[in-house]
Amino acid sequence: MKIPKLLQAVIVLAIVYYGFILVFDVILDHVIPSSLLTMYMFFVVAGVFMVFTATEEGTRELVAPVKALVEDPNKKMIRNVVFVILPLLAGWYTFEKTRLSFEAPVELRTIHPAPPTSMKAFGKRYNIIKLENPLRKLEKMDLKKFKEHVTAGAKVYIQNCHFCHGDKLDGKGPYAAGLNPTPANFQDVGTIAQLQESYLFWRIATGGPGPPKEAAPWISSMPIWQDFLSEEEIWQVILFLYDYTGYQPRSFGHE
Amino acid sequence: MKLKNENRWGLKVVDVAFLALIFFLTPIIISGNFSGEFFNIAAQAAEQAAEPAAEGGDAEKATSLYGPAPKTTLASYPTVKGVNSRIVIWLVAQLHLWFAAFVLAVPIFVFIIEAIGMRTRDRRYDNMAYEFIKVSITAYSLTAILGGLLLFSLVLFYPDLWSYLATIFKDSMFWYAVLFFAESACLYLYYYGWHWLQGGDRKWVHLTIGLLLNAVGTMLMFLANSWLTFMMSPEGVNAAGVFAGDIWPAIQNHLWNPINLHRVVANVAFGGSIVGAYAAFKFLSSSRAEDRAHYDWMGYTANFIAISALLPLPFAGYYLTTEIYAFSQQMGITLMGGIFAWLFIIQAVLIGALFLSANYYLWCCMGRSDGAVRYYKYIKYIAIVIVAAFLVWFTPHTLVLTNEELKALGGPYHKYIGPFGIMPAKNTAVNLMILATFVSFLFYRRANKVATVSWVNAGNAAQVALFVTGVINIFILGVYYGYFTNTVYKIAASIPQVCTTLVIIVISILIDSFMYKNAKEVAPLKWGRVPERSQYALFLLAVSFTWLMGLMGYIRSGIRQHWHVVDIMRDNSADAFTPTMGFAANVVSIGAIIFLSMVIFVFWLSQISANKTEPQNYWVPEAVDGIASTGGKG
Amino acid sequence: MKNFLKVAVFSLLIIFLFAGFANFGVPRIEPAPPPTEEKVDLSSLTMDQFLVLGEKIYKGKGTCTLCHNALGGRAPLLEKAAAVSAARLKNSRYKGEATDIESYLVESMIKPSAFVVAGFGKKGTNDAVSPMPDVSTGSIGLNEVELAAVTAYLQDLSGVEVTVKIPKDAGDSAEEEEEEQRKPYETVEDILSEVGCGACHKVGEDEGEQGPNLTKIGATRSAAHIRKSILDPNAELSKGFEKDLMPKDYGTQLYASELEMLVDYLAKLK
Repeated sequence: MKIPKLLQAVIVLAIVYYGFILVFDVILDHVIPSSLLTMYMFFVVAGVFMVFTATEEGTRELVAPVKALVEDPNKKMIRNVVFVILPLLAGWYTFEKTRLSFEAPVELRTIHPAPPTSMKAFGKRYNIIKLENPLRKLEKMDLKKFKEHVTAGAKVYIQNCHFCHGDKLDGKGPYAAGLNPTPANFQDVGTIAQLQESYLFWRIATGGPGPPKEAAPWISSMPIWQDFLSEEEIWQVILFLYDYTGYQPRSFGHE
Repeated sequence: MKLKNENRWGLKVVDVAFLALIFFLTPIIISGNFSGEFFNIAAQAAEQAAEPAAEGGDAEKATSLYGPAPKTTLASYPTVKGVNSRIVIWLVAQLHLWFAAFVLAVPIFVFIIEAIGMRTRDRRYDNMAYEFIKVSITAYSLTAILGGLLLFSLVLFYPDLWSYLATIFKDSMFWYAVLFFAESACLYLYYYGWHWLQGGDRKWVHLTIGLLLNAVGTMLMFLANSWLTFMMSPEGVNAAGVFAGDIWPAIQNHLWNPINLHRVVANVAFGGSIVGAYAAFKFLSSSRAEDRAHYDWMGYTANFIAISALLPLPFAGYYLTTEIYAFSQQMGITLMGGIFAWLFIIQAVLIGALFLSANYYLWCCMGRSDGAVRYYKYIKYIAIVIVAAFLVWFTPHTLVLTNEELKALGGPYHKYIGPFGIMPAKNTAVNLMILATFVSFLFYRRANKVATVSWVNAGNAAQVALFVTGVINIFILGVYYGYFTNTVYKIAASIPQVCTTLVIIVISILIDSFMYKNAKEVAPLKWGRVPERSQYALFLLAVSFTWLMGLMGYIRSGIRQHWHVVDIMRDNSADAFTPTMGFAANVVSIGAIIFLSMVIFVFWLSQISANKTEPQNYWVPEAVDGIASTGGKG
Repeated sequence: MKNFLKVAVFSLLIIFLFAGFANFGVPRIEPAPPPTEEKVDLSSLTMDQFLVLGEKIYKGKGTCTLCHNALGGRAPLLEKAAAVSAARLKNSRYKGEATDIESYLVESMIKPSAFVVAGFGKKGTNDAVSPMPDVSTGSIGLNEVELAAVTAYLQDLSGVEVTVKIPKDAGDSAEEEEEEQRKPYETVEDILSEVGCGACHKVGEDEGEQGPNLTKIGATRSAAHIRKSILDPNAELSKGFEKDLMPKDYGTQLYASELEMLVDYLAKLK
């Protein structure tokens, strides 16, 4: 038996929709954000529609049941039912969307806002654009010394950072569960792997209240580390972050 | 007969020499070897006349001639009650740009189509080219009117900025005005002389005028571009904005050529899409079979032009972005990170819409031949690739999460979707989208043919192998270099990806053209036999292009932030702040609606000019006869 | 017409979709307003704005960079001024009363001779007297708030801790005082010392070197020429001297009677 085109389309859409949920929510155990899924489905619907209406026969078959529902005198009963259900569905959807709930409104923080050109820390002014890690060059010149700095950085990290950012640098420290926004996960390809070292220096030195307005609300509870660490310690811990995760800091010049 | 031929050769030589001149001069100008004397001749002559014995002190003279950039206050910006000056400038500039892009682009492909017509001696090309140029001729005067309006509003609302720019660019502004006359002369000669300059040498003369029209038009745009790129990346002035006296560095500023290139390519794509919409509208409103066939063909050609220009456009965009980063990291980060990051998600959605509608149009058009049946079964696979690539293409870097999702994920980072948010994934996706679109086009080309050469199977196998290795290469470049090496390679990997895509396209076209050289037609192409749905795909293309251009205009101007001229002349008006994306989108939408309404008006004008009404009992019968009899002789 | 309407509705629908997505499909972020440049209200000034103010005075009204620049070597560079202040206080040549960096910097501006960096003193004084004018008086005339701002800027410039407190109300009254008319100087000596001609010119008892020697100026230049050169220094430059070195605002600083007295005095130096 041949499945009607309209039903085929609906089945395909359902498979894709539940496929996303199955793959992300169940198999991978990382929920797919509903806002993203909505956008995804919008374009999947567009794509399915395009495929089904690419040919003349396909279009006719797809539209035929709808046409019949509206025009065929024999389907008066179904028509009436559908025409009652459709507005009700729309009403229910609207109600669901506007219903008051205890859910706090979605807040979007730009995680990596554009840094200012220069910043103040340790009573000095730094040009973020040109700032480089003074210890980075040791990697080429004096590997032993470099390793010492990395080890020192590891010590700084364990003494100060791991409570929130985790001992595996995955943002899952003992206190992480209590924080919102949650601590950055340095193992993620989207964090330090995408950034220059000067950016890390800026974020560490100025901490939670540091970012510009577009990263509001400033609810991050990260301390202003320039009050607790020395300049060298911050550079050391940055070396450690890259060393442990195996990422390379972003740079704009060839080596 | 012999003489005539020689004559024609002479003209050809003139044409070739002219073309060569343009193509050789352009890179020389672009590479900056050309010292800009041309623009300075007038200024120098004037200076010399005033002070013939001035030596040595010239440089000092020049600096003392110009003051620093004006420092404005809120009071320096005249206001008109109830009018927001920024929105006025914004809309007028954008409308001017849309029309200018259209009237500059149309002659480019009209020239090409006319040349194709001359080569193939197929009259249809000539008629189509004429119809294209006819569409653009009314738009031309609207461009000029809007340009005047833009100038007027600048002088009115931003007098200090205008006078500052005018002191620096006075020479090029003068030559701009002169060139505008040349442009008008060429265009009118080209259009009104179309039927007069037909056949043999005359046709060559006509083509030469077309070439001249394009050369002048391009030069005009380059001049105007230099003014706006000066505002983004000022050169030829010192830190206080004091003009050094030499206009050439100011023209040839850092972003001039990237913008020039980007605009030429984008103009062609945009112009093609607008003409496509025109053809689609004519198709929908015609009832005669031959009209429908004609407009179907016209729409197809216009769409082909638009898509051909769309494919290299992302790469021109990359070039521009790289140069923006090279000019100022700060400007680059403002562009790609921070508040404008979401703009690129909107852009991604629009580009996706462009690709989807272009593919849909091709699929629908396969129905022109009955032979297409053989390829229908592949459409769904192409669609899957395009939609999947598109989903990756527009996945944002920062995900919008509800609190529950945030808790479930344990943070704002998504382990599996997060990696789609960064450039390597998007580069891979856009290359796949381009390749899938190209496959749609290959199928369309083959729809009505069967290859007759003996090596069909080998040829097809070679193409499949080419695509498979190419796609694997793109994946490896994207995944390995994109995620497992440092950033220098991340950015660099996009270039071999693009090269792979281009190589696939070029080789596969070569194989195809040999394979289908003497191919048998299984079922002829029936122009006009397309569903009306496909024409709406053309409208979607035109509307999306228009809106996208407006949006990118907002960001190009927006990255200057609170500066009229970056780091030199500060914007102290009440509107110096950067508007939100939603607000900008609304302004762009209003602009797009105004533009499209004006375009419809232009199309309607070109339509009524062909309509003739013969009134009954209106003219005195004898007088009509008299004119008719003398008219025959004249 | 039906087609036209269909197409129009279709196009409008697409535009609305795009605009809707841009408004509601992506998060609404309000861009930061442009950074403020002019500061008027002292009471709401932040330290960063105060430093910007200091820099502006340093490069503008204070005319400090006229001499303290890398070009002429006329005065020491100030990039490290605050950082070396502590050592200066202990220097045996120090004659001032300052106790910390902040007071040292203020003192160096109003009593420049308290410490003269070796090699930068007036000729013949063996670095005991500074050629720098008191910036709180005369043509420069910085008020207390402005001095504090410059001091804070100098501390920030050298990378030491900024100890200056932002004055809360001194600014307004200081501005008002400045508005009051000063009494005309009575002698040429007063003019020379208050305006600070000797900082650059060799005239009277001063031995400045940055400008032309004026001890015999009347022999080679007419009174009209001298007057013109005071009012518009760039009009005719003496050989070997660069333009823009001499301030151009003496015309507004001196009363007409003072100008004539000065011209008269100079023209008679033969």
